Amino acid sequence: MTAVATPDSVASVPTTAHVSFIHTLRSEWIKFLSVRSTAWVLAISILIMVGFSLMMAAGMTFATDPEMTGGEPLPADPSVGIMVATFGYSIGQIVLVVLGVMRISGEYATGQIRSSLAAVPRRLPVLAAKAVVVALASFVVGLVAVALATLVTTPILEPHGMAVDLSDGDAQRALLGVPLYLMAIALFSLGIGAMLRHTAGGIAAVIGVLMVLPIIGQINLDILQDIAPYLPSAAGERLITGDLAETVLTPWQGYLVLLAWVAAALIGAAVLLRRRDA
Amino acid sequence: MIEAQNLTKRYGEKVAVDNINFSVAPGRVTGFLGPNGAGKSTTMRMILGLDRPTSGSVTVNGKPYAQHRAPLLEVGALLEAKAVHTGSSARNHLRALAATHGIGIKRVEEVIELTGLTDVARKRVGGFSLGMGQRLGIAAAMLGDPKTLVLDEPVNGLDPEGVKWVRTMVRYLASQGRTVFLSSHLMSEMAITADDIIVIGRGRIITSGSVKDIIDSSTTGSVKVRSPRATELAEALRQDGVTITSTEAEVLTVAGLEAAAIGDLAATRGIALHELTPLSASLEEAFMSLTAGEVEYHSEAMSAPAPDPTMEAVR
Repeated sequence: MTAVATPDSVASVPTTAHVSFIHTLRSEWIKFLSVRSTAWVLAISILIMVGFSLMMAAGMTFATDPEMTGGEPLPADPSVGIMVATFGYSIGQIVLVVLGVMRISGEYATGQIRSSLAAVPRRLPVLAAKAVVVALASFVVGLVAVALATLVTTPILEPHGMAVDLSDGDAQRALLGVPLYLMAIALFSLGIGAMLRHTAGGIAAVIGVLMVLPIIGQINLDILQDIAPYLPSAAGERLITGDLAETVLTPWQGYLVLLAWVAAALIGAAVLLRRRDA
Repeated sequence: MIEAQNLTKRYGEKVAVDNINFSVAPGRVTGFLGPNGAGKSTTMRMILGLDRPTSGSVTVNGKPYAQHRAPLLEVGALLEAKAVHTGSSARNHLRALAATHGIGIKRVEEVIELTGLTDVARKRVGGFSLGMGQRLGIAAAMLGDPKTLVLDEPVNGLDPEGVKWVRTMVRYLASQGRTVFLSSHLMSEMAITADDIIVIGRGRIITSGSVKDIIDSSTTGSVKVRSPRATELAEALRQDGVTITSTEAEVLTVAGLEAAAIGDLAATRGIALHELTPLSASLEEAFMSLTAGEVEYHSEAMSAPAPDPTMEAVR
């Protein structure tokens, strides 16, 4: 900080330098990795999800022990294994909501957004690149978490005949459903965060939509009961929970409904990003 | 080259920038001078496409900023200290910005060196002082080796050494033929750094021109006269268009007469003069008189403002 440097007239700037989507994506990737909280968020979400599956697995083995239940033991059923391996998604999604919202609200909070948008003044590539980064990160986190959860719970459940049958189509769909669901939720959060431009507000709004609206949906009013299956979390969870009694949407229909919510949030974010002053 | 045409920005009822026209020429340092809230930052954000003009337009090197294929090679901007994610290091911030244009790590290291940030480049920006934040902002502005620089309050928060560094830097950049546009509310700084000045107040351009012209034209020259017979001399000087004020015994401040005329008149009356000094105004005084005029103009609600020789001379 002491030297008063003299500007150098030889600058290593290629004359072909220009803005492109690939360049913007690279920039977003650098930003994603250079913030310390990224590693924490990703590690914590995996730990939480695997931890919850372990707890659930332990609980299930107790439930098969007639001495513990004091009566009818739980029947041996591989669907228990699916439930155990995927159990962490509902808590893991909270961490990914934070990740999705903060990927953009953090830039508004610090003023970084003005640097980002001045570098890419067409703006939409910035949002699109963020979406790619968030989608990739959340999908990988979901995949790693569910794979680890299956791996560590199988030895516990196997003796009871409850382990996941990986050759089963429903099991495959449910396991793959975890990363797919978490990816959609993180993207939805990014869209809401971009619209609200505020970390706390964004997180509260998304958690409200995912966790509070379904509770209101349980109120015994026909209109609310009709809407409830189409809410983002209820619709998306169909991929993981599979065919329960009284379902309106098939698993993949449900996921498409969730994707429609994601599209709406991101389109809203894109329109506002273009229209508003930074 | 920056050109603004009928540029206007309203926030609801409030007019932040009111139909301004100006151009900023290459090869010169142009100062954008005005009190806080005059519309300087809003204008600069519109130049960079961050704020959308309510009406009018502004172009950089012939095109709206957002339409350039490589904006960072056209304009480098320092908009506010630390427009940076606080969790990121200075180096990573610059790497991310450079990446948007496919500019490599070599240039990142160059601008770090150029701005004297080598020792702190790997530290988190959240812990930076305002001065280091300004240096980082200037480093970011220089990434694309741009033809035009837009710097909002670049010396704000810098220590005297930093101020000198910015001054040397912008003078050097202009000497290379670049367009340098920098804002400040510090008139003394502008007088030293800038070649041309655009003065803005309440969203309107009050005057523009070279620093010297603005000082010359915005104040009527006055002369300090010291004489043991000051009262007698004052009587003799009294005529139309001449204002005489006196703040201490034997000293007069005479406006509206050349020093030579005062000397001649004193000689014909046989009045001895102990001092006869033409007073030149500072840019600061010029600025105060200019913005005072603008405030008055507004408060008189457009109804035929009294002809103000100062303002006429400037326009």
